[in-house]
Amino acid sequence: MTEVFQFGLVPITCHAWNKDRSRVALSLNNNEVNIYERAGSEWRLQETLQGHDLRVTGIDWAPNTNRIVTCGADRNAYVWTCGVDGKWSPTLVLLRINRAATCVKWSPNENKFAVGSGARLISVCYFEQENNWWVSKHIKKPIRSTITTLDWHPNNILLAAGAADFKVRIFSAWIKDIEPKPTPTPWGAKMPLGQMMTEFSNSTGGGGWVHSVSFSGDGNRVCWVGHDSSLTVADAGKEMAKTQLKTEYLPFTAVTWVSLNSLVAVGHGCCPML
Amino acid sequence: MSATLRPYLSAVRHTLSAAMCLQNFNSQVVERHNKPEVEVRSSKELLMTAVVVSRNEKEKVLIEPSINSIRISISIKQADDIERILCHKFMRFMMMRAENFIILRRKPVEGYDISFLITNFHTEQMFKHKLVDFVIHFMEEIDKEISEMKLAVNARARECAMEYLKRF
Repeated sequence: MTEVFQFGLVPITCHAWNKDRSRVALSLNNNEVNIYERAGSEWRLQETLQGHDLRVTGIDWAPNTNRIVTCGADRNAYVWTCGVDGKWSPTLVLLRINRAATCVKWSPNENKFAVGSGARLISVCYFEQENNWWVSKHIKKPIRSTITTLDWHPNNILLAAGAADFKVRIFSAWIKDIEPKPTPTPWGAKMPLGQMMTEFSNSTGGGGWVHSVSFSGDGNRVCWVGHDSSLTVADAGKEMAKTQLKTEYLPFTAVTWVSLNSLVAVGHGCCPML
Repeated sequence: MSATLRPYLSAVRHTLSAAMCLQNFNSQVVERHNKPEVEVRSSKELLMTAVVVSRNEKEKVLIEPSINSIRISISIKQADDIERILCHKFMRFMMMRAENFIILRRKPVEGYDISFLITNFHTEQMFKHKLVDFVIHFMEEIDKEISEMKLAVNARARECAMEYLKRF
């Protein structure tokens, strides 16, 4: 059952749903985030979050803790929490990046989030209680270009990152201070922070920028879509085997798993494909 | 002659539709900047391979795509001196008013007669297929315009000469 609702004539840069899909936070190609609430068959503007100086490039809404994290082209990210009066207030995040942030994702347990940036690194941020802010740890090597997309593994430790240097890498984002040691997974056993578990190249020659990456529900498979109009699935259980499907459609920009064996991809062809 | 025109324009149309898949990309070299990567050319991985679609040695189109912008340069058929002068003046006329065309570049790329620069901001405001239609339409019309102007110049020259020589 699909519905179409028009929020204006401007492109929607990014959006995120809350837990029960009754609210959506989106950014209309500017530096503000609008929160809309569902009222019958319409969406009503509930609040506008202002805090960024430049365009907002990524929004994610944590379903259980009800926090929104936003990141922007002004190298900042804010975590917004809803107060008892229903107003959202921002908390500072120290990203320590010197280029624009491109994408942000909460981890499955919502105690940390990862921000990809044009500074060729990923900032994994967790909350520091003493100073009431979010601090970050960087993952730098061996990323060589802007990170375009991120996705967390269901075990809250592994992070898949796609970049403009045509590669998809799986990193360990284990923060010693806030969580216990992880158990071994099919992707690897030793997992210090920033350890690259595997790297996949989009194709032998180069292959096109990675637009979107997604872990399957059980975490054993990861798929990504690249600008060369291809869709690739890599399986950790089968020793990192890679299957690639090249399509003749225009490049896809986003992909997610809908079940253990099927994916939905959407992109420049303006039509979702299963 | 027009047997090669249709496939030429269709090849250009398909290349443009594929190359115009642009997305916003903040500069990874200078903070807080957002520049067309095809003009800046600072990082090799952000540029795609340039494609030249040519109908013959004189007429060709150079398409240089990148992650957030695309540069299209057209080389127009100029068979003799009159067409060369007319083409040069006509292109100069349009390029001086590049602001009104929005996607036109003020200076053509080396070796070509006219260039367009389309960025992700343009594709966000205008339909992609309409932009492609505009460029193809432009290429078709230019040749017709220049031929018409050449005929007009020749007709006027003939009239002037006849009037002048009536006295003798």
